[in-house]
Amino acid sequence: MKLKSHVSAIALTASAMAGLAGAAQAWTLEEAAKPYAGTELEVLFLDRPGYNAAIKMLPEFEAATGIKVNYTTVPYENALGEQVRDFVAGGDLDIALIDLVWMGNFAENGWIVPSETFINDPALADPELDMADFFPLVLDAFGSWNGVNYGLPFDNYSGLLFYNKCLLEEAGFDKPPATWQEVMDVYGPALTKDGKFAYALQSKRNETQSADSFARFLWPFGGSFLDAEFKSNLNSPESQAGLQFRQDLMKFMPEGIVAYDHAETVNAFAQGDVAMITEWSAFYSTVVSPETSKVADCVEIAPEPTGPAGRKPALGGFSLAVANQADDAEKAAAWLFIQWVTSKAKAGQYLEMGGVPARQSAYADPALAATYKYIPALVESWQEGVPEFRPRFAEWPAITEIVQEWGTKIMLGEVSIEEGSKMIGEKMEAVLAEAGYYDGKKPLAQ
Amino acid sequence: MSFRVPRRTIAAFLGPAVAALAIVGIVPLLYAVWKSLHYFNLTKIAQQRFVGLDNYGAVLTDPVFWQAMGRTALLFAIAVPVQIALGLVIALVLHRPGLSFGKTLTRLSLVLPMATTYAVVGLLAQVMLNQKYGVINQMLGWVGIDAINFIGDPTNAFIAVVLWDIWQWTPFVALVLLAGLSTVPPEIEEAAKLETRSNWTVLRHVQLPFLIPSLVAVLILRTADTLKLFDMPFTMTRGGPGSATEFIAVLIERVGNRQFDIGMAAAQSIIMLAITIILARLYIRLFYREVR
Repeated sequence: MKLKSHVSAIALTASAMAGLAGAAQAWTLEEAAKPYAGTELEVLFLDRPGYNAAIKMLPEFEAATGIKVNYTTVPYENALGEQVRDFVAGGDLDIALIDLVWMGNFAENGWIVPSETFINDPALADPELDMADFFPLVLDAFGSWNGVNYGLPFDNYSGLLFYNKCLLEEAGFDKPPATWQEVMDVYGPALTKDGKFAYALQSKRNETQSADSFARFLWPFGGSFLDAEFKSNLNSPESQAGLQFRQDLMKFMPEGIVAYDHAETVNAFAQGDVAMITEWSAFYSTVVSPETSKVADCVEIAPEPTGPAGRKPALGGFSLAVANQADDAEKAAAWLFIQWVTSKAKAGQYLEMGGVPARQSAYADPALAATYKYIPALVESWQEGVPEFRPRFAEWPAITEIVQEWGTKIMLGEVSIEEGSKMIGEKMEAVLAEAGYYDGKKPLAQ
Repeated sequence: MSFRVPRRTIAAFLGPAVAALAIVGIVPLLYAVWKSLHYFNLTKIAQQRFVGLDNYGAVLTDPVFWQAMGRTALLFAIAVPVQIALGLVIALVLHRPGLSFGKTLTRLSLVLPMATTYAVVGLLAQVMLNQKYGVINQMLGWVGIDAINFIGDPTNAFIAVVLWDIWQWTPFVALVLLAGLSTVPPEIEEAAKLETRSNWTVLRHVQLPFLIPSLVAVLILRTADTLKLFDMPFTMTRGGPGSATEFIAVLIERVGNRQFDIGMAAAQSIIMLAITIILARLYIRLFYREVR
């Protein structure tokens, strides 16, 4: 009898497991989406290659699920404001598009839903989701806040060194600079001549100044925005050394570099006027296309040069998360879309159409590196980046404005590096004090 | 025979206009005043609270606000006199008899800069003034002048915004003054021209008094326009480099839409509104008296 009950228990467990396995095998997007057919999703997209790739993939998702994804394309500069106003007003957006520096803001305001809500729902979670397949740095920096994951990495960048092999070879170099010091001492003087410049650093007074220019020269030199107590670290010898280096490097950049945004910088490189730029991987297609680049055949890609503290390249990108204001059906449908568009299965297609997936498995094929020259450098960069390259807390929108103003003034020589850093530090600390970081009201998370 | 219009008829005619004005003008203004008395940051809704006049105190003691106001005043002080001088010359030329086809063409072309969207004007400037590829530097190169760093140098960027403002708004001033010149009774103008051959005397003693209302209108409108000048510098320089072209409206947009501090931005806007009203009253009191 006892044996019989044991056997029955084992049989029951086995059949339950088989049932679960069967359910797992049986999970299909089509089945999971059936209850949500006809649901319409609203999301903001940017006019960038990753979004254009997703747009090309949309009909396939819509045909399989009956879920309609309505996207509105906005300029990057408007994307945060549009979403903040929509979420505050309880608007229409069902999916949040989150630049990594907006993550703390969105999470702390409760505008987005933690991923585990859906991952723990067998009806919605794709058994092939495989969160461990995302590059850990990217998943952490783009999609998570304070140990909780909210978004899946969607439009992913790393800063890379784009160099004009032909110009470098003419000057006697057979490889790109490995360190920033080499750029300053060797490549800079040799490549700055005849109206051409060795390097251009996009530094316009917007997020470009904070992310692409200011932060880029903090981290590789051992500096950072904040110390462990969340006080300004900008006047530390390391941060000062980095900012001084940026200032000194300006002699190898085109005049008026503080007015250069991405477009001007990429254009100067594509016209052959500048030998090297450090830009986001997303600009790859622009500089290698003969339609938009005079130097398409000369373009090579390397990881950003290292500083005394290592490589620590610029890190940027966006995740997609389910918006809390959506109703239950929209939330489920939104998760299905996010999970699908960032999935392992679609990563190859996304890459082919111009996107940059954050799936490690997508880059496993060595043949890909021949087609997409940026892949080895990108993969290497994602091993060596820092998630808090720019702090991701809710106060960043206020702090970036301070960095933009004073970072530009430093470059223009309107204030000294020390003075400007002190000013940013004081103003940054005032913002953080008001937010409650110094009286224990908020955890020191960035 | 006197005819008394019933009050109901008056209300029926005026009502829709008053209601529309209230909805699009008065209610948002009152809401802005109310919000300016609060700490109200869109990304920190939970911390919203009544702070009385704190935001006003912060704005009035903020050097950044006054620097932006000073920059705006400097833009106005340089651009508007030039616009009035050039506009008057254009208006006087167009007011002369003859060349009617040429004048029609000129009038049409005068409308173009005004009809162009501010943001597009800024974007055009950004492209045309580009140091390396811009058409303006290319043209300067033809006459042997080295390329000028218009957008990347603080002083040059400010000058570029002033020149661009002059280009866009001189035609408006010209058209308003031309309309003012058409109010001068022809017989008075002809009589004056028989009395003297000096165009300046005719302008000073005959035409100018009739131009005063137009000039006051120009001053009021250009003051308001300059105070709210946003689209063009935003798309052209985004307030930079540094703070060289951060005019008052650009600053307010930054505080409200980029830092999301709506309470502070509302206080800045209300102060700007007060300044506009004071200036408008001053113009009317100082200049308008002459034609009463």
